[in-house]
Amino acid sequence: MKKTYSAGILLLAVALLAGIVLIQERSSELKRYETTFFDSFDTVTVITGYAESQEAFEKQAGQLQEKLRYYHELFDIYHSYDGINNVKTINDAAGKEDVKVNQELINMLKLGVDMYQKTDGKINIAYGSVLSLWHEYREQGLEEPEHAQLPPENLRNERGQHTDISRLVINEKDSTVFLEDGEMSLDVGSIGKGYAVQRLAEYAKEAGMEHLLLSVGGNVCAVGSKPDGTPWQVGIENPDLESDKSYVGILELSGKSVVTSGDYQRFYVVDGKRYCHIIDPDTGMPPEHFPLVSVLAEDSGLADAWSTALFNMEFQEGLALVESMPGLEALWILEDGGIRCSGGFGFHEEK
Amino acid sequence: MAKKAAYMGMLTALAFVFSYIEFLIPVNVGIPGVKLGLANLVTIVALYIMGIREACTLSLIRILLTGLTFGNPAGMIYSFAGGALSLLVMTGARKLKLFSVTGVSVLGGVFHNLGQILAAAAVVENARLLYYLPALVLSGTIAGALIGLLAAVLVRRLEKLNRE
Amino acid sequence: MKKNDVILIVVILALALASFGGIYLYSAGNTEDGEAVVYLDGVEQGRYPLSQELSLEIPAENGNYNLLEIKDGKADITEASCPDKICVNHRPVKHLGESLVCLPNRVVVEIENSGEAELDAATR
Repeated sequence: MKKTYSAGILLLAVALLAGIVLIQERSSELKRYETTFFDSFDTVTVITGYAESQEAFEKQAGQLQEKLRYYHELFDIYHSYDGINNVKTINDAAGKEDVKVNQELINMLKLGVDMYQKTDGKINIAYGSVLSLWHEYREQGLEEPEHAQLPPENLRNERGQHTDISRLVINEKDSTVFLEDGEMSLDVGSIGKGYAVQRLAEYAKEAGMEHLLLSVGGNVCAVGSKPDGTPWQVGIENPDLESDKSYVGILELSGKSVVTSGDYQRFYVVDGKRYCHIIDPDTGMPPEHFPLVSVLAEDSGLADAWSTALFNMEFQEGLALVESMPGLEALWILEDGGIRCSGGFGFHEEK
Repeated sequence: MAKKAAYMGMLTALAFVFSYIEFLIPVNVGIPGVKLGLANLVTIVALYIMGIREACTLSLIRILLTGLTFGNPAGMIYSFAGGALSLLVMTGARKLKLFSVTGVSVLGGVFHNLGQILAAAAVVENARLLYYLPALVLSGTIAGALIGLLAAVLVRRLEKLNRE
Repeated sequence: MKKNDVILIVVILALALASFGGIYLYSAGNTEDGEAVVYLDGVEQGRYPLSQELSLEIPAENGNYNLLEIKDGKADITEASCPDKICVNHRPVKHLGESLVCLPNRVVVEIENSGEAELDAATR
């Protein structure tokens, strides 16, 4: 009797151990991790991914963070960094001498020039002289809201004289860039981030990172889908700050990027009216067509550039342009809250 | 007296080794605090064979040793809380003579987890942790029952040895 | 003695099951059981249930601050010492995963543990 009792216990113990080992096998799957950092592009970056362990994920995320920081420095217009010639270097040498830069920077600038032509000037990376003027007045207006002012028209016009993108000379053979006009400056805020995110996604894919979701300040890029094959759920923020609804709807993202331009994040108020940070190159003023447009594309740089361009255009004009381009989709939220999508923009509206 | 010291030394070492074994085979079911409770086997045997004071000392030394070597020093506070509550309840249950060694071990397992969770909730000042309580009670019961069955056999054998 | 053990185990399991059921019902019915979690430099500073009204000054570095207010089940930053005030302009948040970020002060207020369906990211 005792012998069977002991045997029984031994069996139980073995079964328990076996069970534990089996559970271990099942849970060496991919687990979901997330990390956040602040050191690039003046915004918050969130990386969500799946890895076998915390260490594995942190290693991947660390590499991505470093790469993003590299582009942040390369496209910076406010700071110089030892050892690299970035956009600020080019701006500082305007009208004086050409600057030797690397191929990445040239590729980004070429994208900017290409987009200028495609959008008939609605996005202009050579618009720095006007943008810096607005930046100045906006900072002032945020610091002392009672004395907030718009930059005076004469100043805007004067600065507007120095925004001719044809005077941006890119010499690919010598790998140099030169700004012919000494008063002009580059501001790549409308495409730099998107371009960097795209390069980040390509780097991630090459490094074997699938199942990644990058969100750099609202510029969202999905590398693949989730490990179970389902797409990432991305919310489109509601630009109506008074509303109870945080999101107007959900977009399913898989292997593509979505970038949004809107008037409800970076702005300042003058005489009770809101002036956002995106400036229409044709008018020198923030556009007032609609509060938000989101662009869906396979390339994050294109999505970024197009979202700015479309934001500067009338809705009908933008819609026609988007429908004429395969692979490009967009969603507009109009002043009255109405939502319009291009043909292929699939999204679930939240009621 | 010397025999007692030898016993204590052996049991302490055994408890430490069991803790290490638990450390090597982590049970990963997604919830914090689920463990095999192997070390509790030694604690319970000590409680029945030697007494509460010895069992207390044993637990204390084991938790300290574990925390300072391969374990997590910061996590010691939860082990202390769980161990203390568990031992208290087990001592009381044993005195009541209502349950066998197995039943006492079940109570020990359940209250060990309860003690740990209460300590954790207090440290992060967040009562939402108690959300895990049902699952931990369940795992504590199962682990306690199995360990208890083993302990019952051991206690009987050792008691016989002591009398010889 | 063995019988008592069995009774003990059955009772404990029954209690565990009952409380498990209770907790499940509670979190399913309560839609405002989310919390605003405050992080300073990535380190969690505190968690505040959205169901309780609150006005809290979050101290950042160098005398900077953000004023967190929880009202009507939503968290909002109503005042801040930062220059750009993006965090102040942002709408109040209440869904799981939503957050208010103040970059200059390195403060993040994130909604966690709510009963809503989770979004992986938001474009803005």
